Amino acid sequence: MANYSAALSEVFQALADPTRCAIVSALVSGAQTVSTLAEPFEMALPSFLKHLTVLERCGLIRTSKQGRTRTCELMPARLLQAEQWIAEQRAMWERRSDRMVDFVERLHQEEHTHDRKRSAKR
Amino acid sequence: MTENAAQNAEFHDLIIARGLRAPRSALWRAWSEPDLLKEWWCPKPWTTEVRAFDLQAGGAFHTFMQGPDGGTSDNPGCFLEVVPQARLVFTSMLTAGWRPAAPWLGFTAVITMSDEGAGSRYIARVMHPDQDTRERHEKMGFFDGWDSVITQLDDFASALR
Repeated sequence: MANYSAALSEVFQALADPTRCAIVSALVSGAQTVSTLAEPFEMALPSFLKHLTVLERCGLIRTSKQGRTRTCELMPARLLQAEQWIAEQRAMWERRSDRMVDFVERLHQEEHTHDRKRSAKR
Repeated sequence: MTENAAQNAEFHDLIIARGLRAPRSALWRAWSEPDLLKEWWCPKPWTTEVRAFDLQAGGAFHTFMQGPDGGTSDNPGCFLEVVPQARLVFTSMLTAGWRPAAPWLGFTAVITMSDEGAGSRYIARVMHPDQDTRERHEKMGFFDGWDSVITQLDDFASALR
């Protein structure tokens, strides 16, 4: 059972915001400069930069500066981890159900055998 | 909820169904007796400690799991609905007495048990919050790998049988 760190929690929190989720969507098609990326959003640049900081801090994006231009790029590994978490939730419940079924069948079998032995003794 | 949203919700919920030879009463015992529940709740060598088990609506349901490498998983929660041998609903979004909690990604599980032939049928439906987030994730291809994972699991499960 994987013990997920606070890092993954930050990823989900980061993606829960519509602006940040849209930024990630925009970056799926490739790296973009901050100014191009900011254009469709009706928001002051400092606010937009705050969103980028949140995304960068949790490892969903990476920014780099060349001269006066800052470029953003998606870090797919983080996104994959988040997706994996959801898949693992399913796997965990599947396995839990399998163990439960095995256990219940065994429990039932034992009770059944026990009852038969008791009635055989009478 | 619009019809479309309902369909999406159904699509995203985890639904796990099993047919059992054992009757509903045995199924209910495994879920309603903490000493039995801890036998199957987590995979070995992990162990489960049932810290609270107040089997009534609003009653605490708190499990604490421990792994051999020192890893732990603390899961406080509460029962929402208890219908003996038929239905059990619990959540991680609330704790004892329906007190709101803020798990980082909560869930509500609906467990139903019914008769089927000489045995019983078990269905677990596990719901995660924030449908909007999920829909946004879906739009950006977040769930692209989702279907293939389910298919792989199904294949794996049938290969085991």
